[in-house]
Amino acid sequence: MGKWIAIIVAVLVVGLVTLLSVMAGSPKDALYMVRYALPYMHRGNLRVGDNAPDVTLVALDGSSRFQLRSELHGKPLVLVFGSFT
Amino acid sequence: MKLYEDYKDHADFLTIYIREAHPIDEWRMKSNEKDKDDVCYVQPKNLEQRVAIANDFTKRFKFSVPFGIDDMSNAANDAFAAWPERLYVLDEMGRVSYKGGNGPFKYDPKEVRAWLAQRFGEVKHEEPAKTAEAR
Repeated sequence: MGKWIAIIVAVLVVGLVTLLSVMAGSPKDALYMVRYALPYMHRGNLRVGDNAPDVTLVALDGSSRFQLRSELHGKPLVLVFGSFT
Repeated sequence: MKLYEDYKDHADFLTIYIREAHPIDEWRMKSNEKDKDDVCYVQPKNLEQRVAIANDFTKRFKFSVPFGIDDMSNAANDAFAAWPERLYVLDEMGRVSYKGGNGPFKYDPKEVRAWLAQRFGEVKHEEPAKTAEAR
């Protein structure tokens, strides 16, 4: 019985590693994905219809700050989140 | 950003710069190496470093979309569950009208274009005319 449980667990682990490797591109990338990506990826609680949080942002000069909602000027506002890398 | 050029008269746009997705000291990508895209940065440890990378980005791509940077508390990222990339559309009152999925797999500007097209009609600027040299 114990032997079969060990085999099933091993098959599941190999399957999971293979799946993550395919998703990430390689076993090394799968490791990095688990270590550096998955902890930061969230669905989030915001839903359509919710008021957008009025977060504070820093301007490109590095010193000025402004509120996100101050960018609402009577039109829809498209928010594009991302980074360089 | 073509979407911005097409719809900037109808909607406002704001780019929000958040923590790096593939810095060289975390999940390093081959496509970021110097012989390819040459986008090699460590994960910023302070705001000055994040602002510097954001400025590199805007200068390299001559990026004209309005820009804001998340501070080192990552408050905007956390509030919008934005990492590594995500799109939202807020209505005139600041309510969420469209919430895209997490990038890269569910990051889909076509969905935003469809939202804007439904609201304002299809807008497409013509491609720049081919030059005599290109012909």
